[in-house]
Amino acid sequence: MSDQPSSSARSADRAGLFIALGLAVLALVVGWDAWRLASVNAHSAVGPAAFPTIIAAGLAILAVATAVEAIREGAIARPRDEAGPMVWVLAGLVGQIVLLPFLGFSIATGWLFAATARGFGRGPVWAHFLAGTVMCFIIYLIFAKGLQLSLPAGPLERLI
Amino acid sequence: MDTFAALGQGLFVALQPINLLFAFVGVMLGTAVGVLPGIGPALTVALLLPITFKLDPAGSLIMFAGIYYGGMYGGSTASILLNTPGESSSIVTALEGNKMARAGRGGPALATAAIGSFVAGTIATIGLALIAPTVVDIAISFGPEDYFALMVLAFTTVSAAFGSSVTRGLTSLFIGLSLGLIGIDLQSGQARLSFGVPDLLDGVEVTTLAVALFAIGETLSVCAAGSRAEEVIEPVKGSVFMNKEDWKRSWRPWLRGTVLGFPIGAMPAGGAEIPTFLSYALEKRLCKKQDEFGNGAIEGVAGPEAANNAAAAGVLVPLLTLGLPTSATAAIMLAGFQQYGLNPGPLLFTTNPDLVWGLIASLFIANGMLLILNLPLVGLWVRLLAIPRPWLYGGILVFATLGTLGANPSLVELGMLLVFGLLGYVLRRYDYPIAPVVVGLILGPLAEQQLRRALAISVGDPIVLFQSPIALTLYALSALALFGPLLFYLATGHRAPVGADED
Amino acid sequence: MNHMFRGALLAAALAAAPLTAASAQVSDLKIIAPAAPGGGWDQTARALQQVLQSEKLVPNVQVLNVPGAGGTIGLAQFVNGNKGDPNVLLVGGYVMVGAIITNKSPVNLTQVTPIARLTGEYEAIAVPANSPLKSMADLVAALKADPQKVSWAGGSAGGTDHITAGLIAKAIGVDPTKVNYIAFSGGGESLASILGGKVTVGISSLSEFDAQAKAGKLRILAVSSPERLPEAKDIPTFKESGVDVEIQNWRSVSAAPGITPEQKKALSDIIAKAVESKAWKDMLAQKGWVNTYLAGPEFEAQLAKDIAATQTILKDVGLAN
Repeated sequence: MSDQPSSSARSADRAGLFIALGLAVLALVVGWDAWRLASVNAHSAVGPAAFPTIIAAGLAILAVATAVEAIREGAIARPRDEAGPMVWVLAGLVGQIVLLPFLGFSIATGWLFAATARGFGRGPVWAHFLAGTVMCFIIYLIFAKGLQLSLPAGPLERLI
Repeated sequence: MDTFAALGQGLFVALQPINLLFAFVGVMLGTAVGVLPGIGPALTVALLLPITFKLDPAGSLIMFAGIYYGGMYGGSTASILLNTPGESSSIVTALEGNKMARAGRGGPALATAAIGSFVAGTIATIGLALIAPTVVDIAISFGPEDYFALMVLAFTTVSAAFGSSVTRGLTSLFIGLSLGLIGIDLQSGQARLSFGVPDLLDGVEVTTLAVALFAIGETLSVCAAGSRAEEVIEPVKGSVFMNKEDWKRSWRPWLRGTVLGFPIGAMPAGGAEIPTFLSYALEKRLCKKQDEFGNGAIEGVAGPEAANNAAAAGVLVPLLTLGLPTSATAAIMLAGFQQYGLNPGPLLFTTNPDLVWGLIASLFIANGMLLILNLPLVGLWVRLLAIPRPWLYGGILVFATLGTLGANPSLVELGMLLVFGLLGYVLRRYDYPIAPVVVGLILGPLAEQQLRRALAISVGDPIVLFQSPIALTLYALSALALFGPLLFYLATGHRAPVGADED
Repeated sequence: MNHMFRGALLAAALAAAPLTAASAQVSDLKIIAPAAPGGGWDQTARALQQVLQSEKLVPNVQVLNVPGAGGTIGLAQFVNGNKGDPNVLLVGGYVMVGAIITNKSPVNLTQVTPIARLTGEYEAIAVPANSPLKSMADLVAALKADPQKVSWAGGSAGGTDHITAGLIAKAIGVDPTKVNYIAFSGGGESLASILGGKVTVGISSLSEFDAQAKAGKLRILAVSSPERLPEAKDIPTFKESGVDVEIQNWRSVSAAPGITPEQKKALSDIIAKAVESKAWKDMLAQKGWVNTYLAGPEFEAQLAKDIAATQTILKDVGLAN
């Protein structure tokens, strides 16, 4: 791999190489698991390891093919993606997972709503958080009380 | 009792005003719950079933049928408008349907889905009433080796959803196949790729993967594109309803989808997904406007939606004639029957004709009610797209996580949603098609299990795979699907039309 | 520091415990169904919820679904998160016994407080009506001749159906690892393969085969109950066919680990009252469930016996070590 600027037609597509690497790692993991399973005593003609072996082989071939394509076709100009908005949305999703066990469905999901809206450039976060929490509380009432769906309850949900 | 007289009696009961009201309420509730991503018809019916307990048998069956159809249609609505399939059988709908919605043609997409569902549901219900016993004999004669051949056919047609590059399509498919390995292997009881995490033992839920790849992946890539992305989606360009050309392009796919969906749905291991894949591939092959496929071709919505609904009626064939619940929804329906002390079995048609015909009549009514209710609402549904993007996508994520939590209130499940959402983003960013991942997850385990069953029954003799006429026919069709374009080229000297990009 | 704090908490909890027990009345109850909505355990939990509320035994009952891995995820959450909580019950069953072993679950049923067995089903063996196998003796002969030639259709590997097939092989002196067991993912699918004559025999709960047998499409060879069942008098048991196997696929309720004897008694009394109520009996009739209520030390002894036997047979068929 060269350090030439990506505009050069000769340099490989870095993303393609990374994806090839990812596929190779996946092939190794699946193959390793198949190898582990092959040692398990199987009583049938085709055991649990047969399909994983085929899939691992397929992934390995695809890893090579992807790498070859990346080198042969060279760098592809892709429009830049903005990291900021993505970080907000991801923070929303991660935050929901973290908050859910302690604060319950409404507050955690209200945060998800606020963070996503912020990711798309709409603030302020606190107002959206409040509105989202109220909306999610109503959703909670409909689904948990009306339909007996088991959603995680927190301090807010225990009020009722 | 004469079939038509029995059906007429059933229809007469179902058409009582109070029962029509129950049908209406059922369709409304079913649509409202089914529209949530991750909540498919099975869960919708399971959640709403207790409501029907309070009614008399006739009213309850009708409401039940309404919930069932409403739940199915709700899933399609979400697929088309928000690109968030609520169930595995409406994934294919999202491919073309969402492209249409973005191009301001959400109205015709919803309409063709509703009318196609109605047409397919009606034809399939007539099939259920008239030829169920014949169909079920054929369906039962399918052995594991025949199902394996059917999976081979489904795999060969997946390439229709591959997009421009075969390497990329296959990569997506193999990622899906790898995900399909996760969990306890049914035949040997061994855990595969689970790394000791108990939550992985049941494998990756198809709806979780679909919601993550489509809804979360989409949200991430739209927000990352920032100002680059199209500013506002115009909900309506042109007519909100189907125009003459839409009708002309839809009616054949509806019928073809029905023909694929009903028999495969009737097979005990057929399911509703495979007919939608086959229908999509078939429509893509037959479509004259190849460049539209992948950019919002109405045929790609009409065919799979019809196939999906016909399959749903097909599932009732083994349930009503043999008492075999062959899908999650059918299993829950069985629970519904049991509340009247009925045990569906081979004798149901003779011992309880009134209830069976009542149910079939209810299906007709619910199907019609769905159409009456939803066509006027198409205009309203489409307005969803006019919601400002921050709120629209915020709402999508709220409902996506609600659906996932509702099906399985586990943080690991939410974690998977996040990880697969990121995967969806990466796939989109580097032009890999999304659908083959989900297809691999669905078909991989099915193909593997059927092959291993066939070989176990034959004690390892592979010849069993090529002995049955059904299997040989299916292999011949697969060969045709693979090499058909090549033969076409050799015969005419022209290249067969090739599909356009998916994404 | 931390230790002291925990000690203090524990003391406070212990001091508080008799108080709650003294009030005797349980006003809030959470029932955990370790399965998705719609399945057998979920239905059991919701049936119990309905009866407890309608009989005014507990005013406020909630059902919580924690699906996954044969119930072991729900069990793990219950053992780890509800220690000493007298207001929560877990629905479970025999399937969990096997799942704990095959999934190598870090928690097991000895860690919860068993309350009672509620309902149960027996396993049956069926063949298509035109099968050459006319009786259990024919099947035994066929198995002894070549176990590989007899294919069994049933539920997932390591489940109740598979365990029963393994027990039968073992009882007649055939190597259980040689059982040609074909796992199907749903009752409908395996039934279709039996009806279609794709497999030699089918094994499942009796109720799955009942309707087909009445229609003359299937022949039931034998059932796993200790004696003939009142609802199926003409079907012999395994035992009278010379196969010493007896197995019941039961469903039960358990309370959290670490509750006081008083709290356990309060919960046991509530369940005992619920089981005797007419509402519960109506519920069983409606769902087609069989009452196999067993509580107290008898249930605990039966549970221990089942766990030991399952451990052995899963080892024999090669699914546990």
